[in-house]
Amino acid sequence: MVVSRPWLHGFLDLCLLAMLREKPDYGYGLAQRLAAAGVADVPGGTLYPALLRLEQQGLAEPSWGPSESGPRRKYYAVTPAGRAELDTQVSEWQRFRTGIDALIVAGAENPR
Amino acid sequence: MTALVVAALSAREVSRRRTALLLVITLPLWFYLVRRDQTGQSVRMLTLGIGWAVSTLTLFVVNASRGVDPRLRLSGASTAAVIGGRLLAMTGGGVILALGYWVLTALDQDLDRPAAVALIMVLAAVLAAPLGGLVAALLPRELEGALALLSICAVQMLADPAGLVAKLMPFWSAREIGTYAIDATAPDYLWRGLAHAAVTWLICAGGTWAIFAWRLRLPRYPEP
Amino acid sequence: MTGWDSRFETELLRLGVQPGRARQLAEETAQQAAECAAAPDSLFGPAHLYARHLLSELKTAAVPLGGAKGPVRLRLTGVGKRYRRRTVLDGVNLTVRAGEVAAIVGANGCGKSTLLRICAGLTRPTSGSVQRTRRVGFVPQDAGTADWLTADEHFTLFGAAAGMAPRRARSTGEHLAARLAWRPTKSQPTQHLSGGTRQKLNLVLGELHAPDLLLLDEPYQGFDQGTYLDFWQQVHSWRDAGRAVVVVTHLLHDLQHVDHVHDLGAAQ
Repeated sequence: MVVSRPWLHGFLDLCLLAMLREKPDYGYGLAQRLAAAGVADVPGGTLYPALLRLEQQGLAEPSWGPSESGPRRKYYAVTPAGRAELDTQVSEWQRFRTGIDALIVAGAENPR
Repeated sequence: MTALVVAALSAREVSRRRTALLLVITLPLWFYLVRRDQTGQSVRMLTLGIGWAVSTLTLFVVNASRGVDPRLRLSGASTAAVIGGRLLAMTGGGVILALGYWVLTALDQDLDRPAAVALIMVLAAVLAAPLGGLVAALLPRELEGALALLSICAVQMLADPAGLVAKLMPFWSAREIGTYAIDATAPDYLWRGLAHAAVTWLICAGGTWAIFAWRLRLPRYPEP
Repeated sequence: MTGWDSRFETELLRLGVQPGRARQLAEETAQQAAECAAAPDSLFGPAHLYARHLLSELKTAAVPLGGAKGPVRLRLTGVGKRYRRRTVLDGVNLTVRAGEVAAIVGANGCGKSTLLRICAGLTRPTSGSVQRTRRVGFVPQDAGTADWLTADEHFTLFGAAAGMAPRRARSTGEHLAARLAWRPTKSQPTQHLSGGTRQKLNLVLGELHAPDLLLLDEPYQGFDQGTYLDFWQQVHSWRDAGRAVVVVTHLLHDLQHVDHVHDLGAAQ
């Protein structure tokens, strides 16, 4: 499924923080993980500004790491503030998802 | 850089007003044709016609941009670039017009000093642009400005060339160098004319710039 | 550094980013393109447009969503204006912060447009003081465009005033026009545009140099319903991008879209 951009925009920070909590990663790696999870193909012009914004807000912390081939990479790791923000966003997401699920289930059980 | 863009777009703007442009281009021609039988009179009239046409056109161009110029200033342009660009375009167009008419006179009349004739026509155009700008700066409404230019040109045409009144008029230099060009007088006519032209140009261009610098000034509001 | 990177850095500088920060962002962007093994323009698009996009994305964070407020962009303190013996404005106080939309309302002739011109700096107040951010965009109610120039030529002209190269100014202008659902036609002088389209041009010209504060004087005259909604959506995206917006209006249903309302009252 291709998620339309305004929707994605609302949840991109959540997705990025969640992936960074699993393991620190660099921009292109995060894009591949998002695509592999079937969430979205995020263009670079959306992904990198979001990462810079997380860095600027102190939610993610960058460090430079080597790569097997080519130039060095900027790895991001989640900060304590990032974890707290992620927790808030996760509970928002769950409330949101529960609400939508309830609407779908209600429609499936009582079709007219 | 900004001045050149302003100049190029001003020229393009004028070039789209076909009818007005045609009337401006032909205006000096009527001045010329009336006294075509007399070389001296026809050249002097033609020169004055060029001056009148170019100054009136500049007046209208500068007035027409009154809405745009403050916004250009707010976007970061300097007054010199905005006003200078417009005067540059009108000067360039005027010089082309003058050279065109010089070719006509050179073919149609028997000129003793054709280079000096070219000089007065070009001078008239070069003086006319800042003159039109100055009138536009002093009289912001088009009708008033056009009437003022009409008065200036009429006085210039009718005043005794040796008298003080004629010397105070902007195109006296063209008249003086015209005497050198047509009546083959000594070169002191030429030098007097050039000096008058230089002073006139400085007064008109400097006055235009000063008035617009004041009118388009932006306050230095402190950062909050 | 490639041409794209230096164009990107130049545009950041022009948009008011500190030189050190601009260099850093340009280097990071180059490195991001390298890790994707892509050319910067295929990954991010044209350099000057991506510079604007990145800054607006970063500024979104500068304006916290809940409670806290952005920096002040405009502050009027006790501003008054008299023309000879007629008082047009008296003791106006107004503060607008980054990420806020303020509306100025009031009866006809109460000095709304005069107040906006004072904010811009085109009219001098007779009393009081004004503090304002340096980068400001002003959209007048009418005029402000050249009848015989096309939309593209306006972009070139206003871009040149802000120090932009002609081609870049045109592509930025067309990009901003597209956001108002407008595609400027080549070779059509402004005087042949409809009133609504001319207002769109006016809006784009006010925004072309990416100002921090936008001053709009009833900018939607001649807009149809769809464009009117596009306009407010545009205002909200400016707000979300951390810009401050002041709108003069007389339509009461506009007020649902704004953060502050300043009522100038009846005509003086």
